[in-house]
Amino acid sequence: MKESKLGDFEETILLLVGILGEDAYAFKIAEEFESQTKRPVSIGAVHSTLSRIEDKGFLTSAMGAASAERGGRRKRIYTITAAGQRALEISRELKMNLWNQFPAFADGKLNFGIG
Amino acid sequence: MPPKPAEKFLLLFLKSELVEEVLGDLDEKFYRTIEKKSERRAKLNYWYQVFNYLRPFAFKFFKSNSIIPTMISHNFKISYRILLKNKLFSAINIGGLAMGMIVTILIGLWINDELSFNTYHKNYDQIVQVLRKNTELDGSISVNSSLVGQVGVFMKETYPAVFDQVGMTFFRSRAQLLSVGKQSFDKIGYFFQPDGPEMLSLEMMSGDIHGIDDRSSILLSQSLAKTFFGDNNPIGEVVNLNLQTDLKVAGVYKDIPNNSEFANATFMASMDLIYNEQNPYAWDNYNIRVYATLKDGVDLNEASNLIKNIMTPHRDSEDGPMELFLLPMKDWHLNAEFEDGIQVTSKRMLFVRLYATIGVFVLLLAFINFMNLNTARFQNRGKEVGIRKTVGSLRSQLITQFLAESTLYALASFILSIVIVWLILPWFNGISDKTLGIPWSNFTFWLTGILFTLLSAILAGSYPALFLSSFKPLNALSGTLKQGIASVRLRQGLVIFQFTISILLMIGTITVFNQIQHAKSRPVGYNQEDLITVRGRSDEFYEKYDVLRAELKRTGMVEEMAAANYPLMNTLGNNGGFSLRETGERIAFSFNTIFVSPEYGATTQWELIEGRDFSRDRDEVANVIISESAVKRMGLSNPIGSVLQSKWEFKGRKEFTVIGVVKDMIKGSPYEEPYPLMVFPTTWAMSFLFIRLNPEMGYVEALQKIQETFEATLPGHPFNYEFVDNEYSTKFRSEEKIGSLATFFSFLAILISCLGLFGLSAFVVEQRTKEIGIRKVLGASVPTLWKLLSKDFTVLVIISSALAIPAASFFLNIWLESYEYRIEITWWMYALAAASGFFIALLTVSYHSIRASIGNPIEALRSE
Repeated sequence: MKESKLGDFEETILLLVGILGEDAYAFKIAEEFESQTKRPVSIGAVHSTLSRIEDKGFLTSAMGAASAERGGRRKRIYTITAAGQRALEISRELKMNLWNQFPAFADGKLNFGIG
Repeated sequence: MPPKPAEKFLLLFLKSELVEEVLGDLDEKFYRTIEKKSERRAKLNYWYQVFNYLRPFAFKFFKSNSIIPTMISHNFKISYRILLKNKLFSAINIGGLAMGMIVTILIGLWINDELSFNTYHKNYDQIVQVLRKNTELDGSISVNSSLVGQVGVFMKETYPAVFDQVGMTFFRSRAQLLSVGKQSFDKIGYFFQPDGPEMLSLEMMSGDIHGIDDRSSILLSQSLAKTFFGDNNPIGEVVNLNLQTDLKVAGVYKDIPNNSEFANATFMASMDLIYNEQNPYAWDNYNIRVYATLKDGVDLNEASNLIKNIMTPHRDSEDGPMELFLLPMKDWHLNAEFEDGIQVTSKRMLFVRLYATIGVFVLLLAFINFMNLNTARFQNRGKEVGIRKTVGSLRSQLITQFLAESTLYALASFILSIVIVWLILPWFNGISDKTLGIPWSNFTFWLTGILFTLLSAILAGSYPALFLSSFKPLNALSGTLKQGIASVRLRQGLVIFQFTISILLMIGTITVFNQIQHAKSRPVGYNQEDLITVRGRSDEFYEKYDVLRAELKRTGMVEEMAAANYPLMNTLGNNGGFSLRETGERIAFSFNTIFVSPEYGATTQWELIEGRDFSRDRDEVANVIISESAVKRMGLSNPIGSVLQSKWEFKGRKEFTVIGVVKDMIKGSPYEEPYPLMVFPTTWAMSFLFIRLNPEMGYVEALQKIQETFEATLPGHPFNYEFVDNEYSTKFRSEEKIGSLATFFSFLAILISCLGLFGLSAFVVEQRTKEIGIRKVLGASVPTLWKLLSKDFTVLVIISSALAIPAASFFLNIWLESYEYRIEITWWMYALAAASGFFIALLTVSYHSIRASIGNPIEALRSE
């Protein structure tokens, strides 16, 4: 019954996990999301999505190091799995494929039909 | 520092394994926000973040996102398998509850229909009927709805600010003969004042609702228009009324639904046809019903007070006072009975309450069954509970499992009951004289249904759910598990309750049927067999009476023929104001006075007790024949020759000599004391014809001959006849309806109770399988075992009978008291009901006990 598709928000979060690497934990990902997309997001929303993606098997997580500004608490660091990698690739390929079929883009330049 | 309350709140619901990372993340966010913005903003944001953790994945109570639906589907899957495993018990369980639901749904629909009576009319809240309250000379107060026509005219003219519309119609709506070309039908309709149709907010299919403003017009109901004109446009066509008047169809209205006072109105014509400039409404002829609509904002009581004394100036001071008052439409159907001038609970209302009670009780029976069977069944599942607990089931999971099971059963019952109700509604409509349907699109109906279903599921499931789940696994597995004496007592109590209700209903059914039978076999005072009646319509009919009589008798098919001014089926023609000449004393009661042709006695074959019958060859103008009850009530020891004086003239005379006494003729309700009858002879034209057929001839042939003769003598006059005994039997319809409904309900109640007993006995027998085996091995005989196993249940039924009998006699006496001519409840009715209850219970229990007794003891001992 496991869901294996990636939603749009999930895909973005997954990419951010990849970008942040060792620093990929809920708060950092939320912050990065806000700065990259200029859209506000709560840590809870990100956390919930992370755990959902983890259920799908695209992410694994482990408790990482503690730091002082966290009151000595550890953070959960997420890492993309092979399946996650694959899901991102499939998603990109699908989109590229679609973009290539889009006539306005097919020859590599924008064509809005103005001539 | 992050706000403490927010943190506390978070910890309240957050899963423990998430606490560390989440608190860490939120702290980081908090300090970052202080750096970037301010402490206040940071605190606010902290709260915002906490609330955003209110997501399923972070909740303590959920193990994981997907476990809940899995558990539930698992619960239902197990329930379904258990249902299939015990097919018989599942069927009993579901069937029993479904039966209860069927009864409740049917009764609910019925009551809803009764309560929504007349709401079809848009002016429901404004329509009133004018009633009169008479105080008789002997002090009794009667309420009646027959009024004089001038009341309506007066109201409309004098109080235009109070009454918006005033509609008058005849007190009794008789069938009228309508014909189009060769087709003619006797149809009930209303002659109304022009305001009538609009007051009743008829829904016009075509034409004009004000059509009958023109007295030569008629409005037809949709179905009558279809009968006459098919799919053609009826507007402007001509319909003939009573072979006399041609009326133009001015409009067609949608049939008025069955739950309206005016449901029988197949047409509406103008009252001006009868009452007009030449023939104005009278102040002394009580043959009119007066309806009105109140203007907006007019108070009912004030309006009632306004018209209270309208009649006073127009009445003899000798007659007792008469007050008028208004009865609002909402009271017409269920609140229109009066005793001594005061509104009392009507018989119909009593029935609504009675049925509501029955519905509740039958549903309760079904509930009890459901619970009883479930608890008994769950008892066998102690082992399952033990194993489930041993492998780690939580108590809450067991509770969910049991509740899921009872929900599945209850839902199945609900669906089954809807299907069955849908199937039997036509039949139910037939016996209850309604046109009910399942309100498929009614939200309230479904909501109530589902709520009831869930309620029954919870009620029935709660006991096993809470009780069984509390078992210690070791006890459950080692078989030392015993249900306490309390639960056994509870179950016995429930069985007693069920059988009490069933026996009560059975006694009720027997009594209702006996009462009907009693009234049916009541001597009617004349011979109804081979007697037909025809209603005359045209003047020609009256003129040719003698010719017709001679012609008919000549066919040899007719023994005798007579005429009267009123039919045999009612007590129309009421007159008081008589006194005895010898004593000069005024007679306090009024008579049913009818005029008949001299052959009336010979035709109806009434039973003369004293004196002689009328004869055509004598001058009988000053003679009367009276009935037995009249003699009794006047206290005459030697009635023949007594002279009665009248206040009013009857055929020009005021004094009449009694020449004969006949047995009472039951013309009114067969449940009431006979109405004292006074019969005047006349040879004048009258419209009700009675024909006694020659019993030696076959009906078919006789009727055919009569019809031929009739049509030859009176060309154009329809020969619409009715058998008198058929007409009479319609008087029993409402009681027979009660009878069939009572039978239906008690049948279901008994069936439900038996299903319950059947299931219970099966479990008891199953539990005692080993015991039976051992007893058999030691030499117990089949009858001994049967007795052993059946004894417990039959004792319960005997207790039930003891409880049901006093309750039944209490309720049935109340019911019987509403009939003047009634049976006494006798011991054999109780005995019969109790014996049948006992017998049915014994039969039910015996199935299992005998099966267990004759089984092979080896198998019994080897079981498990």
